[in-house]
Amino acid sequence: MKHFLAFTSAVFLFLTVFYFYKDDSQILKDRASLKVYGSNSFVGSWGPGPKLKELFEKQTGLKITYLEMTDPTLLLQKISFDGDKAIADVVLSLDQYDLIKIGDKIKWENTYPTEIENIPDYLSHITAIKQFSAYDWAPLAFIVRKDFSVPIKNLNDLLKPELKNRIALQDPRTSSPGLIFINWVYSQFNSANEAEQFLKKLMIQAHSFSPSWSASYGLFKTQQVDVVLSYATSPLYQLVEEKNDQYTAIEFDNKHPLQVEFAGVPAVCKNCEGAKQFVKFLQSYEAQKIIMEKNYMFPIDRSAQEGTPFDHVKIFKILPYTVQSKENLQKQIDTWNELRNSEN
Amino acid sequence: MLQAYFESLKYVGHLLPISFLRIFLGYFYLQQSIHDWKIHIVGNSVVSDLLVEALNKTQMPFWYRLFLTEHLMSHWTFYAFLLVGIQAIIGISYLVGYVVRPASILGFFLCLNYLAVSGLSQEYFFKLMIAAHILMAWVGAGRCLGLDYYFYKRYRGIWW
Repeated sequence: MKHFLAFTSAVFLFLTVFYFYKDDSQILKDRASLKVYGSNSFVGSWGPGPKLKELFEKQTGLKITYLEMTDPTLLLQKISFDGDKAIADVVLSLDQYDLIKIGDKIKWENTYPTEIENIPDYLSHITAIKQFSAYDWAPLAFIVRKDFSVPIKNLNDLLKPELKNRIALQDPRTSSPGLIFINWVYSQFNSANEAEQFLKKLMIQAHSFSPSWSASYGLFKTQQVDVVLSYATSPLYQLVEEKNDQYTAIEFDNKHPLQVEFAGVPAVCKNCEGAKQFVKFLQSYEAQKIIMEKNYMFPIDRSAQEGTPFDHVKIFKILPYTVQSKENLQKQIDTWNELRNSEN
Repeated sequence: MLQAYFESLKYVGHLLPISFLRIFLGYFYLQQSIHDWKIHIVGNSVVSDLLVEALNKTQMPFWYRLFLTEHLMSHWTFYAFLLVGIQAIIGISYLVGYVVRPASILGFFLCLNYLAVSGLSQEYFFKLMIAAHILMAWVGAGRCLGLDYYFYKRYRGIWW
């Protein structure tokens, strides 16, 4: 036992000495870098993060340190707990629903206004948002294989008996596309009651409601389901990255919903000016091209997609970007939750 | 000591597969302690993700929640230092196979604490880690490919 106590003391003694003699210049250098939080798909080696970092560092001389964010809600809570000691200069990967649900958990700096001329009409509202800057977007659509023969033209077609247990959807409590879907359902029916009746039938009809988009798309790719809710750009990803042209997005008679991704600068930022520069940089032509090519989402600046495969992706009729109330969104999630529980 | 290290293979060679698990766990803990040192000690008082997740957990004894919010959060630097130290102790101990039994008891309590604060997604991971620590203590995993064999030969006793 005395061996263990001596060993424990030695480790703590070593750590204490190390603590007092740690290289402060390295720490200061580290603190001078911009701390950018983003989802794994953005900051990971396969995402646009590394290329954007290289370009931004070359242009401004400011260093970027990416930090992976698993859940934006937890991250904003963490920043709120840390207060002034929080280390976060930029938060990426927030979609329009995150802004409504959790955007008010912390205070944000105003970002530089969006000055892009080629913004699609249905996104014109995003220029009015002062605290967040949009950097990409994509419409949502149902994806099928080209040999799929059941015609689907609207939401009601999803209830066709031949589609029973063949559709993969996402859980709106944990997945943004899932939340966008139920919000879309509510906007497409004349009354909330009709929408709820539809959702109730869909609970029995769908194969599953996965906790994330990637899980449901995995079901589709492994041919466990034939229809999946995804992004209209997903078939392009398959074509370019996997040389597979067997996937297609179904165009509905109804207008399609969209997802817009934003970046924000928390008020507790240490290098606020640098952070705002980075957020502005995300809307530059070069950055927009990198984001589009790596994230497989449309750029906010339409000129960045000219002459690329994205130019050939058919843009469906799109529901314009609108701001929902937090209460309304929560009510929709609660109703979905009740329907799900009653099904189980 | 080096001779005893390899001699252990001859006499307690049946523990070799568990020794590999022990070395892997040691590497894991050491890596974790370096990671936490960089974030919580060098990075200065960033409350851990696990703590934020803990405060969102609905099922937790009231006294423990009070401890987390009133004491641990306000003295986070101290507790972060303590946690990094404990992780380093377990990491080094498992890697070289020295004082593995007491270190595994420390690991057991550390994981029990994590189990109390973690969400559902990590619950199984920490349960598995607890099982691994119990296994290490039970078989005396430091006796094979570890310094514990040298001390066990000389001093005997339950701690090796």
